[in-house]
Amino acid sequence: MQITLLQGILLSVFGAIAGVDSYTEALYIFRPIISCAITGVILGDPMTGLLAGGIAELTFAGLTNAGGTQPPNPAVCGIMTVVIAHTTSVSPATAVGLSLPFAMLMQYIILMYYSLFSGFMPGLDKAAENADTKKFNRFIGFSVVVMALTFFVVIFLSAYAAQAPMASLVKAMPTWLIHGFELAGGVLPAVGFAMLLKVLLRVNYVPYLLLGFVVASFINYSNVLPAAVIGAVFAMIDFFNNKQNQKLQAQIDEVRENGGSEDGI
Amino acid sequence: MESKANQKYTKVSKSDITKLGLRASLFQLGFNYERMQAPGWTWTQIPIWKKIFGDDKEAMSEAMVDNMNFINTSPPLVSILLGLLTSMEEKRVDRKTISGLKNALFAPLAGIGDAIYWFTIMPIVGGICASFASKGNPLGPIIFFLVYLAIFLCRIPFAHLGYDMGTKAIDVIQENSTIISKSASIMGLTVIGALISSYVTLSLKVKIGSVSLQKDFLDKVFPNILPLGFTFFLYWLLKKKEVSPIVLIAIVFVLCIACSWLGIM
Repeated sequence: MQITLLQGILLSVFGAIAGVDSYTEALYIFRPIISCAITGVILGDPMTGLLAGGIAELTFAGLTNAGGTQPPNPAVCGIMTVVIAHTTSVSPATAVGLSLPFAMLMQYIILMYYSLFSGFMPGLDKAAENADTKKFNRFIGFSVVVMALTFFVVIFLSAYAAQAPMASLVKAMPTWLIHGFELAGGVLPAVGFAMLLKVLLRVNYVPYLLLGFVVASFINYSNVLPAAVIGAVFAMIDFFNNKQNQKLQAQIDEVRENGGSEDGI
Repeated sequence: MESKANQKYTKVSKSDITKLGLRASLFQLGFNYERMQAPGWTWTQIPIWKKIFGDDKEAMSEAMVDNMNFINTSPPLVSILLGLLTSMEEKRVDRKTISGLKNALFAPLAGIGDAIYWFTIMPIVGGICASFASKGNPLGPIIFFLVYLAIFLCRIPFAHLGYDMGTKAIDVIQENSTIISKSASIMGLTVIGALISSYVTLSLKVKIGSVSLQKDFLDKVFPNILPLGFTFFLYWLLKKKEVSPIVLIAIVFVLCIACSWLGIM
């Protein structure tokens, strides 16, 4: 199905808003589950939006900007996943794989801006010395406009202008290649989870990881809620134990100090 | 003399703190590699400084110059720090003390924020909402949006909390940052274990004679062992070989397309 000019513009406007949101991390409408759903509504295909959102969100579960790293852009991934699934009628899992190059393109543009914006710092330092608050307003406003425009243009070109070549490209792909992308859509969440493990996993936490894995593998339930509850139970036990230990430690220190001074007498 | 000096500065009102909390949602604007969040951080506080310093250009310039130093902290928690520092600016605490506190607190706060928001709430809420969405249930994106709207709005009570607690907040943050991060890691890892089992899809099509390797062997011996093994393989590449996430994504694509071509998966 084709994307009309009006739909293209609406998508680009949403892309600009979600893009700025991915910069500020304020409302989280940039996350794939939301950006897919809204794209689905704009394209008159809400079901594809929902299904794609479910898959794309998991792909990005660990691809976060925690610790100042910049992942492939989730807003662009969300929008393009639904656009590709809608225009070429490939499955949402395949579409996630095909949307990643667009999300990475946006990632590199943003990284470039982060370097570029550094060039404004000496000017802002001077403005700070002169208590020139207007210059700060102008710079912040400028950064919003630059981000919004970039997302608008990137989404307009990728979703609207490139839809015909995109469709013929997908049509020209052999089945094994399309299936390969579909498989990748199912495996990609592992990259994100591995990134989370890299930050979180310590040897003494391995039992909790295995516990969650076993719970989900053997308890038949539609989502990860049982594991989350069990995780919360263990987190609480650990929290109270630590608090208790902290108190005991404080008491021991106190006794030691007092004991020490008494011995001194 | 002192009473006169004090008269120059108006006390901030409750609504000023509320506005500070709301403005804090935009504090990542102007993010760049050299100072990270410094320009947005400074910009966020301009209105409240105007209120506190009045026409005192010198105090304003001192505050602005000082806050243009590097800062990188947690967006959902930043308003606690903003509220705390505002209470100190208002009491005209020595500039060195204020900037020392800021520098001592922003990193632990970032640690707590990442542990709670990216590594615990995101996998749980994202995982549960994605499972709704992938069944075509619009509750997925709706619940996700509402949860993150609540997190967005928490910036307001957090700003008040920081302001009201004042210096007491310092002990709370420093005392609890490791314990909270630990508990959040436990919960996060349990959920990640469950997510690996539920949402990484890897299954072999290989048959040995009439025996399907996946259905008749692996699923009987240990279900989801392949997703777990593969995630750990990626983790090993990330942690020990320091392969970048982008390379991992490429590996996933190449592997999946190759397996599809060979008919293994």
